Amino acid sequence: MKPQIAPTTVIIVLALFAVVAGGLALVGGLDTQKAKSTAVEEQAKATDAQPVTDCFESRVAYTAVTRTENIVPQYGYPNIKCSPKTSGVLWYGDPFDGTIPMGEMPEVTDATRGDFVNAVVKPREPRLTYFNMGPDGCATCHNGTMVVFPKDKKPRLITMHQDIVANSLQLQHGRGAIWCLDCHSATNRNKLVDRQGREFSFNQPQRLCGSCHGEVYIDWREGIHGKRIGAWATGGKKRWWVCTECHNPHTVQTNRFNPINAELPPPPPKGMKNADHERVGQNEH
Amino acid sequence: MSDDRAETNNKKDDVTTSRRDFLKNIGIAGASTLMAGSASAGVPADSPDPDAESTAAEWLQGHFVLMSEEDKKEAINRLEKRYTAKYDKKTTVANTPPLEGVLFGYALNIGKCIGCRRCVHACVQENNQSRTNPVIHWIQVMKIPKGNFAFTADKLNDGYPKSSAFGDYGVQVGGNAYAPVGGLATEHAQSYYSADEMVPDKDYFYVPVQCQQCEKPPCVKACPVRATFRDPNGVVVIDYNWCIGCRMCQLACPYQARRFNWGEPNLPPEEMNPKTHYFGNRPRMRGVMEKCTFCVQRTREGRNPACLEACPVGARKFGNLLDPESDVRKILATKKVFRFKEEMSTYPKFFYYIG
Repeated sequence: MKPQIAPTTVIIVLALFAVVAGGLALVGGLDTQKAKSTAVEEQAKATDAQPVTDCFESRVAYTAVTRTENIVPQYGYPNIKCSPKTSGVLWYGDPFDGTIPMGEMPEVTDATRGDFVNAVVKPREPRLTYFNMGPDGCATCHNGTMVVFPKDKKPRLITMHQDIVANSLQLQHGRGAIWCLDCHSATNRNKLVDRQGREFSFNQPQRLCGSCHGEVYIDWREGIHGKRIGAWATGGKKRWWVCTECHNPHTVQTNRFNPINAELPPPPPKGMKNADHERVGQNEH
Repeated sequence: MSDDRAETNNKKDDVTTSRRDFLKNIGIAGASTLMAGSASAGVPADSPDPDAESTAAEWLQGHFVLMSEEDKKEAINRLEKRYTAKYDKKTTVANTPPLEGVLFGYALNIGKCIGCRRCVHACVQENNQSRTNPVIHWIQVMKIPKGNFAFTADKLNDGYPKSSAFGDYGVQVGGNAYAPVGGLATEHAQSYYSADEMVPDKDYFYVPVQCQQCEKPPCVKACPVRATFRDPNGVVVIDYNWCIGCRMCQLACPYQARRFNWGEPNLPPEEMNPKTHYFGNRPRMRGVMEKCTFCVQRTREGRNPACLEACPVGARKFGNLLDPESDVRKILATKKVFRFKEEMSTYPKFFYYIG
């Protein structure tokens, strides 16, 4: 890369040091060969490894995204690059891949001038397991005949969907004050519903969540809370993360953000065998 | 690991030899340049190195900022040609100028950071760092035990000198004095915590540290050749070709933000990011310093830095400090904000906040 030696002198240098170099090569030949072979092996390993294609963004399983090659042909970028260790998305070739406009947002007349003109989101509906089990979404089963509509919102034990809420009588969100049907519409299961009976798409959970969590919602509208990628400038095109892309509303009382696996640490500096010294005295308090 | 080390030891021999050669040949190089008058003319037509001509021209290249527009264009063409050949993909080296009326600032919520290190590896993907031997990460994530302000009943007797064979001598320091009391006490920080653990650990908080883009950067003061300097957007950048590799800046930096290429960087062509900037992520060479540039190749074109886009919890915010509507300014106005190592009077434009 960087010229270590001016090229005119390369030949002279080579000639001058040929003898010395020969001697060095004899001594160091064995080691060099070993190093070379390991380097080759490493390279082979690297080329064998295929890039991870099934990835997730923030929540494991709920924010799945697939790698597609050559989304930006100019640079040969894929849409995302993922970690081979955790399959978490590390890098976006195209931050707006697979996004739709955020849709209408209610006006809030105080200081929260939400910058929604160029806001896009990744739709939630294609990423929901149960929503995609039939042609009509949740209403494939919850159509009033196959599964009858419940008469009231009173908590009762539910045998279905225990992977989402293990025990429906102990739903932690709201600490017993609310239950499934306070957010999920009883008669139109493809939609969310708020306390005034307004129905919202699963793609716009913020309109429902914001009706109770106003403080966080205002921060989110301002751009302080939550994640946005794309342009940094005010008014630029940004992809917004909506509430349920990071938070699982059903278990949010246990974990605000469900723990995920960490990525690899840097290797310790040369000569340091491990980093145990860092943990000395960690358990004393 | 052991194999790595073997290779590194080999490299060390390499380095010493070439450095010696280099010193011996300075005189010859100087003389030949004088005689030749121009760089390219000094290269014999049948030179074995296909890069010889551009190598010679690069050797004579001045400080990038002081170069004429033509020379800049030529230097960039040279680099593009070389990278395209070396990595076997069309590589662009941009020279996007700094933006007007913009001062870049960064804010990071340590209340939200979960320490997953995705920013670290996103940075590696974006900025063409050496992947193996040496492994170079521009971001370091510190895992710091949460402090304990609470004087609970079981800790009332803490702080007395412990009994030893010599008796109970020593100074009584009061309850909880042996535990950190919160804040950014880096003496208990772990930077090498294992990737096998789930994060976040509830007993710890996490503080990613990268270049703080100081308003008074000690590294710039330390650089004897002005290879590193503060650009008009407030970002401290490096002209890698002008860097002499003396590592004074690394010593001067209180944030351990600078990394040195001790060996020839190993960057697999398939992982190389072909969209580069002269002061940003173009592939570096052995013997130069590198560090976070707020992704100058992205931010000067309006896009967010790679670490921000990778953060799965949205703890990172980037924007224009001169724009009162920007995310960063709103955070400065409404949240509890602090700077890391404020007592160093470096005035970072990287802010940590809670809330």
